[in-house]
Amino acid sequence: MLQISNIDVYYGDIQALWDVSLRIGDGEIVAVLGSNGAGKSTVMKSISGLLKVRAGHIDFGNIRLDGLPAHHIVELGISMVPEGRRIFPQMSVLENLEVGASTNAARKTRQNTLEWIYEFFTPLKLRAKQKAGTLSGGEQQMLAIGRALMSVPKVLLIDEMSLGLSPIVVQELSGVIQGINKLRKLAVLLVEQDIELALSMASRGYIMENGRIVDQGDAKLMLCNPRIKETYLGIGAEEKAG
Amino acid sequence: MEFVLQTIANGLLAGALYGLVALGLGLLMGVMKFLNIAHGTFIILGGYLSFWLFNLWGIDPFLSIPLVMIAMFLIGLVFYRLALSPLLKLPDVGMRIDTSMLITFGLIWVLDNAMTMLWTPNVRTILTSYTGETFRFFGARFSFTGLCGVGIAVLVGLALYSVLSRTYFGKHLRAATQDAEAASLCGVNVQRVYLISTGIAIALAGVAGAVIVSSYSISASGGIGWLLIAFVVMVLAGEGNINAIIPAGLVYGLLEAGSVLIFGVPYRQAIALLVFVLVLMFKPQGLFAKRE
Repeated sequence: MLQISNIDVYYGDIQALWDVSLRIGDGEIVAVLGSNGAGKSTVMKSISGLLKVRAGHIDFGNIRLDGLPAHHIVELGISMVPEGRRIFPQMSVLENLEVGASTNAARKTRQNTLEWIYEFFTPLKLRAKQKAGTLSGGEQQMLAIGRALMSVPKVLLIDEMSLGLSPIVVQELSGVIQGINKLRKLAVLLVEQDIELALSMASRGYIMENGRIVDQGDAKLMLCNPRIKETYLGIGAEEKAG
Repeated sequence: MEFVLQTIANGLLAGALYGLVALGLGLLMGVMKFLNIAHGTFIILGGYLSFWLFNLWGIDPFLSIPLVMIAMFLIGLVFYRLALSPLLKLPDVGMRIDTSMLITFGLIWVLDNAMTMLWTPNVRTILTSYTGETFRFFGARFSFTGLCGVGIAVLVGLALYSVLSRTYFGKHLRAATQDAEAASLCGVNVQRVYLISTGIAIALAGVAGAVIVSSYSISASGGIGWLLIAFVVMVLAGEGNINAIIPAGLVYGLLEAGSVLIFGVPYRQAIALLVFVLVLMFKPQGLFAKRE
């Protein structure tokens, strides 16, 4: 459904992505993994229209995404939860969610969407009137995900969901995302440093290094692959040291 | 006693106008972080438009306010496209404030001279059949045009408040101000929201100009004086606190009237600036700042 083909992306004059290709099928959860600075977030920003693509192209169905402004891409059905949550701290929780439903299509179904999001994230319902800046980290992440869902996307991009959150909260959030994926046939692209978490949620994974995709495959197989374990989970290295 | 009541009445009439004068500046600076030094000059331009509508077609200055607003809104759109939109590319908000200040400072000279050419340097005012009419309440006299000004200031202030807090547009604007990139990821067309908001801010300057020309007078280079008042009121209200601007205007109007009563007219502006400095020194978040 979403196909990235051989893209090169630059920050000013500095090249950040080399020849990256990636595919997300209908209702699939896909993980992009790699260490800090490998280019995972750059891939997401390229899809959502925050960064320009210099070469290659990004297609959603038969619509070409690269070159479109970010707000237009949301309208087409791709929504992103940015790294660091980026909620609007001076607005209430409800207002944050309302801003999430900015596109014409999303406005029509707003009340409905709000209700099922509240079902998945009950703390948001309890704190609807509260300023978003006063929420805890985990609640802010819920709000960021809820806000992205308010546009009723077909593909949800989540950048570093687990960052700075306790393992219990991360477990809870990942459970909810898997639930929404199953119930609403929502495709999800995860960018994560927590590789074990991402591979346990996803059906397929891509591994990035220095702006290139170096490996890809079935998530369950990758999770058992000793080389990946050694490189990214540090398990092999510890054993050797021990 | 009557003298004191009259002072309070004068303060309220002037204060409502001061609030109205500061609304457009507060919207651009407090919400969008563009510091529009030419705000006073736009007010004068609105005043001239009202003057023209009255002199050429005989349209009543209060009835012509919607026309002035529409014209000024369109001027605001051009202003945004030419002067402000390039500033969104700047890396941080501080640079946006600084650069917009310099650009609009230059714009004052362009507009001042254009207006002098169009309307001559003469002082202009509008004299209607009801100019100079007054009402008496509790021994204090209120001018009819002044009261109309109060009504318009309150109405416009409430309208702006409900647009910002209730409508989708207002929420988009506030979201874009807090985090433009995150807002665009929610599907908000940030450029369009800013464009329309600038139009509204300049239309608000136009309303203020129309009220000024019907109760006071205007001249092509008089914008700086109104800018100063708008600044002081904005600081009293607290940056970004749009809802407090009309109340802050009233406070400032009463302060000014009181200082005239005690120290005499010559010290009026000195007192205004003293208040400005004192508020910045001791309560920089503004008199009406909400506690978090």
